[in-house]
Amino acid sequence: MIRWFLRGVTQRRLTTRYPRAEEPAPPGFRARALLDPSATNPRLAWRAAEACLPGALILDHQDRLRLDATRCIGCGLCVEAIEDGPLAIDSGYELASSSRRRLVVGDVAESDTSPAVLDGPFRRSLHIRHVDAGSDGAVEQEIAALLNPYYDMQRLGLFFTASPRHADVLLVTGPVTKPMEEPLRRAYEAMPEPRVVIAAGTDACSGSIWTEPDVLGGVDRVLPVDVYIPGDPPSPIALLHGLLLASGRAREVSAPRWHGRWRSSRENRD
Amino acid sequence: MIALEDRAVEVGALATELKQLDGRLMVLFATGSAGAQEELCALVRAGDAVIKLRAPVQRRAYPAVTPMVPAAHWFEREIHDLQEITPEGHPRLEPLVRHPPEQRELELPEEEDVRLAHRGAERLAGPGVFVIPYGPVRSGVFESAQFLVQTGGEDVAYCAQRLFFKRRGAERRICEVPLELAVLVAERVSGTSSVAHALAFSHAVESLAETEVPPRAQAIRRMLAELERLYNHLEVTVRECEDASLSVGHAQFAALKERLHRLAGAVVGNRYLRGAVIPGGTRIDLNGPALDLIDATLSEWEREWQRVLAVLLRTDSFLDRLVSAGPLSEDDARDFACVGPVARASGIDLDTRRDLPYDGYPDFDAARHSDGDAMARMEVRFREVHVSLELIREAAASLMPGPTRAELGPFTRQSALGAAESARGETLYWLEADGERALRFCKLRAASFMNFGVFNRVFDSQVLTDFSFIEHSLGLSPAGCDA
Repeated sequence: MIRWFLRGVTQRRLTTRYPRAEEPAPPGFRARALLDPSATNPRLAWRAAEACLPGALILDHQDRLRLDATRCIGCGLCVEAIEDGPLAIDSGYELASSSRRRLVVGDVAESDTSPAVLDGPFRRSLHIRHVDAGSDGAVEQEIAALLNPYYDMQRLGLFFTASPRHADVLLVTGPVTKPMEEPLRRAYEAMPEPRVVIAAGTDACSGSIWTEPDVLGGVDRVLPVDVYIPGDPPSPIALLHGLLLASGRAREVSAPRWHGRWRSSRENRD
Repeated sequence: MIALEDRAVEVGALATELKQLDGRLMVLFATGSAGAQEELCALVRAGDAVIKLRAPVQRRAYPAVTPMVPAAHWFEREIHDLQEITPEGHPRLEPLVRHPPEQRELELPEEEDVRLAHRGAERLAGPGVFVIPYGPVRSGVFESAQFLVQTGGEDVAYCAQRLFFKRRGAERRICEVPLELAVLVAERVSGTSSVAHALAFSHAVESLAETEVPPRAQAIRRMLAELERLYNHLEVTVRECEDASLSVGHAQFAALKERLHRLAGAVVGNRYLRGAVIPGGTRIDLNGPALDLIDATLSEWEREWQRVLAVLLRTDSFLDRLVSAGPLSEDDARDFACVGPVARASGIDLDTRRDLPYDGYPDFDAARHSDGDAMARMEVRFREVHVSLELIREAAASLMPGPTRAELGPFTRQSALGAAESARGETLYWLEADGERALRFCKLRAASFMNFGVFNRVFDSQVLTDFSFIEHSLGLSPAGCDA
């Protein structure tokens, strides 16, 4: 045991300063796609939508592109399909929002005017119960990674709890398969109020690449979802951000809007 | 490309034929849509060959194979559930895939029933014997699966595993979506084995189109596949430390695992290496800085790993829990056609990377152990970590300039088998082409599907407190099993 003790105390600090300091993702990290809604070229738009498996990019009735970040798996195939198009890849870790509509770009009823901050009764500590409703297994490992020395979520007052009866947050992964619908509902009903439901991962947010009849297509088909954390899988920082958002200690991200082309074209004019 | 020896047999003779081949049953499935002529199809590894046995089914029933070939037990129940073809005389024809959501009691056959032997069940009755329905929502951050544990308090009399809570219909999706996007589905069957699933699927597609993968792409594929093996083996180690309440060990191994995911995120752009492997090659290329990063990270990583591992292997409280826990005999591992580290730890010599060679793997020593207990499975993994690091270095050294993807031609063959060795074992995709650019049928078999089949046997006369040690030593993926 003394050997373990020595190993434990002789190492430098690994833990991230997040959320007090930013934790940048490595360049080239594929978090989600970004769309410049001002650019319109129906032919390119059609080609990009064709390359999107989960249907995050779809054409509206006027053949304009619309990007739903809760469906995006960050594969980057849309950017590859159209060179020099209105799409880019965002490498940021923070992805969570309390509204699905706020994570959509190109909608007529788009509403990302002022990112709201959840103000709940959970500002100091949060007890989390995780339920897997049909995930691919990677999200569970990212959630478990929150306990490793790099993230150490307990320093932020975040704890896992074994029973839904002690939980403030239901952290749900997976697109909700048929056999998991009932156990998921029962876990939710066992929780005391007030309670928060978080959909963790793109498949939990929207169903992602999975479709009926095997899956219901997202947690919000079964339970009222308070925070959406897209990501395939969401990185530990993305999960921390979502959990902090649920406790009113972080700001929502804005819609996956890309300003790059607009900016560069203006620079050219100058 | 895997060469198959095709043989047609009578459905009544399928069991004896399989028995006579005396090989390892890789997969058994039924093809053909309802109404059309259904055909049972078995792929068997016998000696150095892969033999495909085909047997047409009449009147939606046939004599079950399981009584003679136990490894077929889950396959036949799956066929019964999904295609409604009845294997007559199957010792346990309960629902496997399509079952009611939860079960709280065990239904065991009566004493002196032949079916008892198949289950390996020790029948226990009397006051004080009860069943713990554990799952599908389990305490802690785990994937959904249910275990019904029959116990008198300490000794596990019987443990029944119930899976398929997570079935998302991956086989259906792979055929539905455009061919160039199907690999994205394969990557998400078992999210922690994305590379292995993408590889097995790509191998099958490349075989259908008879496309050769460029050498540079092969080397990159090997590097990614071995990196994936590293973090999966680390995951098992982390879980075992957690079970042993070894907090410092848990933190140290979890930090080592995190470093690998960060490396993956930096080189591929995804912490689980998704979006790298595609049919025909790889989507990404590894340039100089990326290779330097891999080399530098892994050299430091290996030193640290060896230091922590040395401490772990001298920690008696850890070893005590694993040695002799959850033994799997060589006979059981063979009868139920286990794969991967689980099979290798029970003395079976198999490794897809060597047996069905792909992507230019060089010759290497497959780690093996003869004890068959939880510790043996861990030791096999520890040795494989070492082998994987060597293989990554070898692949990096063999990177030659050149293209990383070959144009995928039209399909020239009707059907093909693709295989890859994930961290959990042999992963298979059987694909049937529909014309030149589409798929008609897909049967995928993850390693965990085979290894979950022996879950109850591994618990034979074990104690309840060892449950999580034994479970984690098997390193199973419910997501992969359920697909």
